Amino acid sequence: MIAVACNHKWAMTNIRSGYLVIEGCFHCRNRISFFSEEPIPPVDDYQEGDHFWSHLGDYQASQFDLKCEKCSKEVPLKEVMATMLCMKCNPECGVFAVSAQDQNRKTWVYVALCANTSHASGKCVTEEGIRALNEYFNCGLQDPLKKIVVVPCALRKSVDTCHGIVLADVGLTELY
Amino acid sequence: MKVSELVEKAGLKAFNKQSDKDIQGVYISDMVSDIIGMKEGHLLVTLQTHKNLIAAANLVDVVAIVFSRGKTPAEDVIALANKVGIALLGFDGDTWTLAKKLCALGVG
Repeated sequence: MIAVACNHKWAMTNIRSGYLVIEGCFHCRNRISFFSEEPIPPVDDYQEGDHFWSHLGDYQASQFDLKCEKCSKEVPLKEVMATMLCMKCNPECGVFAVSAQDQNRKTWVYVALCANTSHASGKCVTEEGIRALNEYFNCGLQDPLKKIVVVPCALRKSVDTCHGIVLADVGLTELY
Repeated sequence: MKVSELVEKAGLKAFNKQSDKDIQGVYISDMVSDIIGMKEGHLLVTLQTHKNLIAAANLVDVVAIVFSRGKTPAEDVIALANKVGIALLGFDGDTWTLAKKLCALGVG
C-alpha cells in the first residue's frame, strides 16, 4: 500500500501559558532560556556543573504544538521558546542572509528561538518544526504577495547584538 | 466591512494610512502570547502600544489595530506598522464601549 502524502492543514494544539525565562552564566557567558508553567517564574540563581546560572529576565508567553486537521499528525514544538521578527540589523547574520535572498518587500523573516540561546550544545529547533511553522503561518495570508519565513535561531550571528523583536509580553505592567 | 468604512462609522482616529482591507472578524486582547493564536484578516482591539504587538500582528495577518482608551502609539511603532502594512487606529472610549459599537455595526 502506498502512503499518500497529506497536504497538511495545521492548527494550534496543546496551547500552554507560562513564562519565557532567560538565564545567563557569568562563568562561560552562555545564555539559556526555558518555558516555565509555574504560576510565578523561578528567579533564583543556581549552580549546574561548571555553570552558575543567573536570572536575566522573564516574560509572559505561550507555547503550542501543531496538529494537522486532516491527518491528525502532531508536531511538538516544546523546544520553541518564542518567535522573533528579524529587523535586518546585521548583514553578517545568517538570518539577514535569508531575508536578503528574497527581495519581495512583503516577505517577513521570523526566528524560532530555542532554549539553547547560545547554542553551546549545537541543538536547535527541528527541521520538521520549522517546516510546520512555515506552513501554518503562511496558509491563510490574505495578501498573495505576503510571505512569512520562519528560520531556526541557530542562524543568528549574535544574541548580544541582535535587534529582533521577540514576540513576548512586555509592558503589561505599564498600561497606566 | 472595509477599514475605511469602520473609521468613518465608529469615529476612529487613523494614526497612519494603509491599503483598505476587509475586516473578517474582531479579536480583543492585550497579550502578545494570546494574539499569535488569532485568525488572519481580523481587527485587533488592544490597550498595548509597543512594537512587539506589531510584530505579532504581522505574523497573524491582522488588518488593523485599534488602541482603545485614547492610547497613542510612539513614532517607532507607527513606522514599524507602516513597514508591515498594518493600519493603526485610535478610540477615545474604553474597550467595552468599542466592542458594543463594533457589534452594532455588524463588524466580524
